[in-house]
Amino acid sequence: MHVNYWTELKKDRKGRTGLYMIGFLLVVALGAAWIAPYDPWAHVASPLSPPSWKHPLGVNDVGQDILSELIYGARTTLLVSVIASAASTLLSLGMGVMAGLFRGVPERIVMRLVDVMLIIPVFLVALLVAAYVNPGAFTLILMLSLLMWAPGARIIRTQVLSLKWQGHFTAARQFGAGTGYLVRHHLVPELYPLLAVNFIQVVRRAVFMKAGLAFLGVFDPAQKSWGLMIHYAREFVFTGAWQWWLLPPAVAVSFTIIAFALVGYSLESALDPRLQKGSTG
Amino acid sequence: MKKRAGDYLLAFIIILILNFLLPRLMPGDPVTAIYGDALVHMTPEMEAALAERYGLAGSTMDQFTTYLGNLARGDLGYSIYFRAPVSGVIAGALPWTLLLVGVSLASASLLGIIWGAEAGWRRACKFDSGSLLAALLLNGIPGFVLGILLLLFFGFYLQWFPLSGGTSPHLQNTGAAGAVDFLQHLFLPALTLTLTQLPRIFLLTRSTILGVKEKPYVLTARGKGLKERLVRYRHAVRGALPPVITRVGMSAGLLFTGVLFVEIVFAYPGLGHLFYTALQHHDYATVQGCLLLITVCVLAFNFLADLAGIKLDPRLKEDARQLLDRT
Repeated sequence: MHVNYWTELKKDRKGRTGLYMIGFLLVVALGAAWIAPYDPWAHVASPLSPPSWKHPLGVNDVGQDILSELIYGARTTLLVSVIASAASTLLSLGMGVMAGLFRGVPERIVMRLVDVMLIIPVFLVALLVAAYVNPGAFTLILMLSLLMWAPGARIIRTQVLSLKWQGHFTAARQFGAGTGYLVRHHLVPELYPLLAVNFIQVVRRAVFMKAGLAFLGVFDPAQKSWGLMIHYAREFVFTGAWQWWLLPPAVAVSFTIIAFALVGYSLESALDPRLQKGSTG
Repeated sequence: MKKRAGDYLLAFIIILILNFLLPRLMPGDPVTAIYGDALVHMTPEMEAALAERYGLAGSTMDQFTTYLGNLARGDLGYSIYFRAPVSGVIAGALPWTLLLVGVSLASASLLGIIWGAEAGWRRACKFDSGSLLAALLLNGIPGFVLGILLLLFFGFYLQWFPLSGGTSPHLQNTGAAGAVDFLQHLFLPALTLTLTQLPRIFLLTRSTILGVKEKPYVLTARGKGLKERLVRYRHAVRGALPPVITRVGMSAGLLFTGVLFVEIVFAYPGLGHLFYTALQHHDYATVQGCLLLITVCVLAFNFLADLAGIKLDPRLKEDARQLLDRT
């Protein structure tokens, strides 16, 4: 488990590319207010104007600058998926450690819950809830983190089960370390690589789910979102507007998912010796 | 096995409870939540009759028993948009969805298994790393984006395929012309769904093949002097197949989520399209019915895959889902 995954990530071409892509997205998302040429909510030109020097991607059906919408969309996407993934990973950690350390009733309850959660089609449940509540960023974060923790919890429990009988762990216990101390100083640090992989994978899925929900129109229309842009632009497909209105958010969503998929894949192969280049088997 | 069946039952009950509770947790009463827009046209008597029939009044426990009773009789409520019982509307849409899912799953499995076997066999050479990158990129494109792109290019720009629907309206769909029309409408949605499922099956097969190809029985097959192709397909792939089948089946949720988007993009007349139409017209009885049925399809599919996996590979008896850890 002792792999320096950060070095591995930078050494691998896929991982490096993914990191650059994520870095670019972060810059756009954090600097949205400075980069965006217009306020994406303001009506700045006559509706459906085609691209021009003043509006490189044209203007949408209510007169908002599409480029600015696109830039602000990065902010919503990253905000929702990164926070949802962090919360879901923490939940996985808590559940996994609990089920791994305490055998008996807590383990049985948690694992039963995990098994059931793994069967339930997550996106469909999210959709069912969203159809009623039309979630904004906050509700979506809550919903996604409650729905996506199960796979991670299972992996973490398996790891905890194998870790807890290792030498240094037993030694620490013999010296009188309490459960809380053991978890904080010996267990969690060992789980960092797994948590990192889980975090990245869940971000990827969250980006997809958020974009999907917004594409279906079940997202707070007051917030800028790539999925919602595609949703609205689709009604104007038969004018030429799809070229500058529909394609950019579609590319942005795919770009984001691919960025996290590349980093996720690279991290995963760094952690799994079976997949390392050059080794056999 | 009993525990597994129990998990599915529990999952089903959770879905049912969610379906039951959601409209009742909304502000206002469930009659408004489910039939909101149509209430304007209703007399108080009609409203009362509706509430009576679908158990939307009375204590929560009474409501729940009425809800379950109605479900057991196949009564999913009344669609205010289609002006027909929801179950009838859904029954008309289900075959289209199953057709699309069936065709796409079959082609994606076939292509994905062959592609994965070929790539895994030549691990780390150009073909393998190229395939891997291609699969990762393809996997990053959401189904609705891919569908829109294909629709714009092949349907809108090249005009090779129709833009929407399952068959052409105003056309006598008989004989060969009808069959061609039907297949033309099926092609792009099926292609999109196949392409969205392909990378996952490819990656699964590839990694399973990597684990299998150094196994003694493959060495034996080669030692017997079998042709390379036979070693690869009759021995290695065959050994790798059971976990692949189980894991593909267990990810039915992704398949049915995919079909939902594809149908919406191509206005293909299945459950997904029905769901979207209902959603846009705030026809919540139909929205609920569609999602409930799709979820039941997913659970049934998962369960069958679980059973099939055990039949194909008795080692899985302990817990097939251990395998899912890596996906």
